[in-house]
Amino acid sequence: MRRELHAEWTKLRTLPGTGWLLASVVALTVGLGAAADALAGCPWRGCGHDPARLALGGVQLGQAAIAMLAVLIISGEYGTGLIRATLTAMPRRIAVLAAKATLVTGLALASGSLAVLGALLAGRLILPGSGFTAEHGYTLAADGPTLRAALGSVLYLALVGLLGLGVGAAVRDSAAAIGVTLGLLYGTAALPYLVGDPDWQRLLWRISPMNAGLAVQATRDLAQLPLGPWQGLGVPAAWAAAALAAGAVALTRRDA
Amino acid sequence: MEATIEVKGLRKRYGPVKALDGMSFTVTPGQVTGFVGPNGAGKSTTMRIIVGLDAADEGSALVGGRPYRSLRSPLRHLGALLDAAALQPSRTARHHLLWLAHSQGLPAARVEEVLELVGLAGAARRRAGGLSLGMRQRLGIAAALLGDPPVLMLDEPFNGLDPEGIVWIRGLLGSLAAEGRAVLVSSHLMSQLQDVAGHLVVAGRGRVVADTGVAQLIAEASRGRVRVRTAAREEAMAVLARAGAAVAATGPDTLTVSGPAAERIVELLTAQAVPFSEVAAHRASLEEAYMELTRDCVDYTGDYSGAAR
Repeated sequence: MRRELHAEWTKLRTLPGTGWLLASVVALTVGLGAAADALAGCPWRGCGHDPARLALGGVQLGQAAIAMLAVLIISGEYGTGLIRATLTAMPRRIAVLAAKATLVTGLALASGSLAVLGALLAGRLILPGSGFTAEHGYTLAADGPTLRAALGSVLYLALVGLLGLGVGAAVRDSAAAIGVTLGLLYGTAALPYLVGDPDWQRLLWRISPMNAGLAVQATRDLAQLPLGPWQGLGVPAAWAAAALAAGAVALTRRDA
Repeated sequence: MEATIEVKGLRKRYGPVKALDGMSFTVTPGQVTGFVGPNGAGKSTTMRIIVGLDAADEGSALVGGRPYRSLRSPLRHLGALLDAAALQPSRTARHHLLWLAHSQGLPAARVEEVLELVGLAGAARRRAGGLSLGMRQRLGIAAALLGDPPVLMLDEPFNGLDPEGIVWIRGLLGSLAAEGRAVLVSSHLMSQLQDVAGHLVVAGRGRVVADTGVAQLIAEASRGRVRVRTAAREEAMAVLARAGAAVAATGPDTLTVSGPAAERIVELLTAQAVPFSEVAAHRASLEEAYMELTRDCVDYTGDYSGAAR
């Protein structure tokens, strides 16, 4: 797979769009997080907010940029016809998909780490001013749960990237693939709030990659979550695996 | 590796459309093989199957005796130009070739070499989307030559080229074949292949309708026909027709005569004192020969040619 990786990396770094999308992952995640930090308030003891979730809330927006980058890495090639050059030069199609998946993962981890670090830093600076103080019992501490939230958020972004790549390979059309991916992320996240039955709510929450996946950001009141933090991260992992499998089948079985 | 393409019994359906119906031919080294036929004859589909983009329902396609998809560095075995527009418009010409080079384990220096070879060195840093159709065609040819392959396969390489570009590519194809490479070139314009192609594979309705040497094909199409140049066209036609020859006016002062040999024609015209300036064996153009060959397998024939006959 070494040559596939080298070629795909050269492709990726010679497209102007790549840098912009990665920069927007960081900007959106830190920007939305900082805004939420500033607008939230914790004026008394027991205000009920989770400072880590608040500071890392921008991941909900930053993931859209990762998803688009990942979808376009493959569906963009179908749009321009470049995929025919790709598969003529590299006929081992699974190796091409694996190379793209490796790069998506690497870029998501790198940009995600920067984004999460920036968001936590913004939280440390802004949250005390919004009332998240030791006195009120809500600080963004550099402790185990916060570390899990940070690490989990980065991994979540990588899983969103793999989900997007799989959908892009399966659907091929850029607009449709972006629609499906964002629909899977945001559409299923909204579903639990549209039904009244609590059992249904729990079920829908558990199968939503975003709701369940972002449980990893929780640092307080874990018992109230339908799934534990790491278990929750398993949901987007399962979605990503299913999408990649569908993408691999479409890529190998269908004519290019 | 032997420089060949072997296509055997390819069949392919796209839904209700039968694109290939038992396509079989072999491309041998050392000459340019023209791959011609009307639109929809299956030329492009065959080429896509050879490089493994599409899977055949039946039959096999081998490059140097091996299936393309089993080749480790395929561009070092076969260079293909299938669709010059298959580019990412925002990537530069040089970077397009660079990723291709990396995919074959070739050094970046090879990119500069092929850019020079196709005359694109000056446009290397321009975005592919901004290149003219002719320049994109050259870029596609650069990509095909990147791995210095013993087999080349070009789909309609003359498209979008200006006259200078056409002369250039005809020369390039000839010299690649002279180096002992196998070169397969599809075209719907026979005149482009004249004097370049040594062999011709004619496709029609998804199969091969003729697989023949160009010299032989032209000889057959020219057989027994004589060109007569005369100022007195009408009289000459009358005299020759009376002697039982089939005569067609093929120009303001030229006739194409089949039936009698050149000596007999001279005799007939002289006897009736019909003036003429030339009587010579007619040499059919590749285009004429091709038209004769495919008359029966063109799907859509215009009314005009039917009425003229």
